[in-house]
This record gives sequence, C-alpha cells and structure tokens, in this order.
Amino acid sequence: MDEKEAYTQRLKAAVHYTVSKLCQSTAADCEKEMSKQAVAAIAETTFRQCEIFAKDLEAFARHAKRHTVTVDDVKLLARRSTALSSHIQQKSEELAINNQELKEKRKKNAAKRKSKEMEGDEADEARETEN
Amino acid sequence: MAGQEREVVFKKVTVSKLLMLFFKDDKTKVSNDTVSLMAEMLRIFVIEATRRAVKQAENEDCLGVDLEHVEKILPQLLLDF
Repeated sequence: MDEKEAYTQRLKAAVHYTVSKLCQSTAADCEKEMSKQAVAAIAETTFRQCEIFAKDLEAFARHAKRHTVTVDDVKLLARRSTALSSHIQQKSEELAINNQELKEKRKKNAAKRKSKEMEGDEADEARETEN
Repeated sequence: MAGQEREVVFKKVTVSKLLMLFFKDDKTKVSNDTVSLMAEMLRIFVIEATRRAVKQAENEDCLGVDLEHVEKILPQLLLDF
C-alpha cells in the first residue's frame, strides 16, 4: 500500500511540473503572476479531474463492450461543451491523418528495405557461384 | 506567443500512467491516440483554469493570482468539464 502511495505521489509531482509550466506561460500571456498556492491548487484539481475522466472513459468503453479505451470515448467525454467538443474532434482528425502518413512512410521504408535485401541476397548468390 | 504555448504538453507516458492508475479494472487498455487526445484535454483544462483565475484576479483589481481566485472559479470550472 505504501508503495502505491509513493507511486501516486510521484505521478502527482509529474502533473504539478507540467501544470506549473502551463500556468506560468498562460499567466505571462495575460501579464499576471501566479502564486505558488494557486498553481498547487490547479495541479491538485487537475489530478482529481483526471480521476473522473479516467473513470468515465472506462465506463464508456465498458458500455461499448470493449476493453480498450478509444478516441471515440474521449469525444464522448468532451460532449458537455460545444467548443471543446469541436476542438477535440479536430485534434483527433489531425492525429488520424498523421497516423496515416506515418503508416505510408513505414510501408515505403519497408518496401525499400526489402528491395535492398533482395539485391544483397542476389549479390551474395553471385559471389557464392563465383567461388 | 501562441507558438510558445504549443510546446508545453503533458508527457504521453505520464498521461497513460495516470489513466492506468485510476482504472478499476486492470484489463482496461488505452490506445495510443487516446493518450495524445487526453493530454490535449488536460492541457485545455489547465489553461482554462488559469485563464479564469487570471480574469477573476483582474476583476478584483489584484496584481497577482492567488489561491482565493482559484477557489472562486473552481465550482463553475468543474461544472463545465
């Protein structure tokens, strides 16, 4: 149990780190300064909110009779606010396009490697017959 | 300025470990895209919280954003997400 608590604390620290960076950059845009307590409060809120998000996502996936949480579940999570919902929709489309590009690149690379290997094999065979 | 804001994101590993920690069922898994999308969700959440706190501080004519400002915007923030 103690070990789990230490793990949770470390994750909290990781969240706090990113939250404080985000807070500073956002507050700097508005020419304000955030106090340490304010940042800590936002970090703690984010951590707790993440728990709610995770439990909702799990419930959504379970409702769809899946064991894997997918992008659609996240879209459902963002349904409450129209602006957030459309932003998440756009982001997921960007991700899908990126993935497709990566896949095509990988396919090309794999094809290249295969043709190179074939050439290598042929060269090896030629050498063997010479010997 | 907007370009700078873009750079700060939650690490994918952190988000995936966070989600895994809170799942009740160990069998539940997360796809790769979901983690990126959740990182974006959390980023928006933090920025929204900060912006609202800053606005609250401005309304009260305070120089810095303090705990009381975060406390005041918290209920509505939680209702909106």
